[in-house]
Amino acid sequence: MTDLLEGFRLVLQGDVLIAILASAVYGLVVGSLPGLSATMATALLVPVTFYLSPIAAVATIITASAMAIFSGDIPGCLLRIPGTPASAAYTDEAYAMTRKGQAEMALGTGLWFSAVGGIAGTLALLVMAPALAEVALNFSSFEYFWLAVLGLMCATLVARSSPVKAIASMLLGLLFSCIGMENPAGTPRFTFGMTDLLGGIEPLPALVGVFAVSQVMRALAEAEPPPLPRRRFGSIMAGQWALTKKYPKPMMRGNIVGIIIGVLPGAGADMAAWVSYAMSKRFSKEPEKFGTGHPEGLVESGASNNASLASGWVPALLFGIPGDTITAIAIGVLYMKGLNPGPTLFTERASSMYALYIIFILANLIMIPLGIVMIRIAATVLRAPRASIMPVILLLCAVGAFATGNNLFAVMLVAFFGTLGYVMERNGYPVAALVLGIVMGSMVEQSFVTSLIKSDNSLLPFFERPISAVLAVVTLGALLWPVAAWLMRRLRARRPAAIAAAHRP
Amino acid sequence: MPAAREGNRALQLSDRITGLCLVALGGAAVYGATQQPGVPGQDVGPSVFPMVIGLGLIGCGALVALRVGRSFEAPDEVVPPEPGEAMAAPPRFAEWRAFLPPLLLVFYMLAVDTLGFLLVAAAITLVVCLTLGARLRLALPLAVLAPIGIHAVFVRLLRVPLPDGLLTLPW
Repeated sequence: MTDLLEGFRLVLQGDVLIAILASAVYGLVVGSLPGLSATMATALLVPVTFYLSPIAAVATIITASAMAIFSGDIPGCLLRIPGTPASAAYTDEAYAMTRKGQAEMALGTGLWFSAVGGIAGTLALLVMAPALAEVALNFSSFEYFWLAVLGLMCATLVARSSPVKAIASMLLGLLFSCIGMENPAGTPRFTFGMTDLLGGIEPLPALVGVFAVSQVMRALAEAEPPPLPRRRFGSIMAGQWALTKKYPKPMMRGNIVGIIIGVLPGAGADMAAWVSYAMSKRFSKEPEKFGTGHPEGLVESGASNNASLASGWVPALLFGIPGDTITAIAIGVLYMKGLNPGPTLFTERASSMYALYIIFILANLIMIPLGIVMIRIAATVLRAPRASIMPVILLLCAVGAFATGNNLFAVMLVAFFGTLGYVMERNGYPVAALVLGIVMGSMVEQSFVTSLIKSDNSLLPFFERPISAVLAVVTLGALLWPVAAWLMRRLRARRPAAIAAAHRP
Repeated sequence: MPAAREGNRALQLSDRITGLCLVALGGAAVYGATQQPGVPGQDVGPSVFPMVIGLGLIGCGALVALRVGRSFEAPDEVVPPEPGEAMAAPPRFAEWRAFLPPLLLVFYMLAVDTLGFLLVAAAITLVVCLTLGARLRLALPLAVLAPIGIHAVFVRLLRVPLPDGLLTLPW
């Protein structure tokens, strides 16, 4: 109880509240601009968090990412261009509603159910994390190794790309993490004699390069999106309560699916939205209405992607394993601020954890009024020409990377990773897997080598401990899943052909 | 491939090429791993992990080159144009313009210490802005205001030591 009160005291401080408000506005604006994703918004915030108190720093990350995931719905609904990848799953549906003259309804649904999903996800985080912390205390390097690999495998599964290419991206990320002195021998490895590489590749320049610079590059290579027609909006929240009462089941299903996908290491909001939209269509009583401007799918997937955002913090806080690319950034901030992830965080720094939950709830509550304002001014914000936004983003990339260590080499890294990310994306290699590989590389290597030393080079103990065996099976299942899916598809394609052949006289 | 993407084909390398690049990189990683010094009295050292990754990369690269898993590749999440909806054509030299931002970042790295943040930032803003087709009426004010704004936030508020170079602000 005292911890809870202390949590409130930590949040209700001037600097924290200002940080929440400012990052909310920032997240809403950046998320709503097509091509600027929630991950990018968060990555560009990190240099700012260096100079904030620990709670304020975490608050900016939480608030900005939640707002950006919601406001990605706005251009999706009005322009048919998803603002963030997490909105892509239901962009067509929302745009169809706009064309039916129900733009208010579609945007209101996105807003209201985003907030509901976010709060549901927070409650799940609040209940699950301390309970799992008890279990996690028994984890040894074997379990950590499998958890980290499982996270990486999930990241490759969700990529909606060739699984082979996704695994290749992930391995590439792991290879980058090998650079530097932080290895079992403490000798310079793969540094090519460059002193700047001795410290290894920091995740932040890689993130900024892959998610921000490559977007600027994309903007230069592609035609400008069409301008937004000005329109007057009616009441945005009207009818949302009726929708809540009409679709309680899809809403709950969206919440639960989002929470589960969020907890899985490596899978985040994008995946949650796709899965939930597909599930909603599958279980709906009126699946024929989907795609014609039917709110049911919006309810489910809108709740789902925001729910996954909060529960994605479970593996991040417990094990330091990112639930998605946003929490990958958050973990860096947590370490920097002395809130090192781990099961003991919940006993030793309980008040900070309460503060974190309170920030989540607060962020999702202020999302509603701020979101309404954002929707009303969206037409004006979205009219800002790309030519005025992209140069600023590019400058922020350079300055932000420099600020991480007052080192110009980081700017070079940002340019390198921007180019790499752009070329990879063009050729179907998912970049999220690359980034997670870079972020988690040293953890995978450390747990792998420590385990090997403990077991005297035997691989058996990796499968002997009960939890570790379960995790191993799940991980290998994730690895073999694409093969199974491919085989099933082949069989299904062959069977009708075989039947048809049998019936032929 | 939708029309809007036609201009961007130059960088779409074939799977054979990217796959072979991965195989080569994996081979280099394995070779590099074998060159790592061992840890006395211990069998596992800094070479194990890059070795495993290198072998994995060789395997994945070979599979990519053989086009395994191609059927899983979802089309780009860009929403296809509706019938009758006009899609703007991509700008000329689109694919090569894309490499402007990293080049500008390299320019920033090389020039910022001598020229100073404000001048370099203004130059970068101007170039990106004009390349994106803005008029001078927008580009010039932006090239003045954006660097000053960023300078204010990062130097005054966050105390990041951005180099002054030739041009120092009077405050």
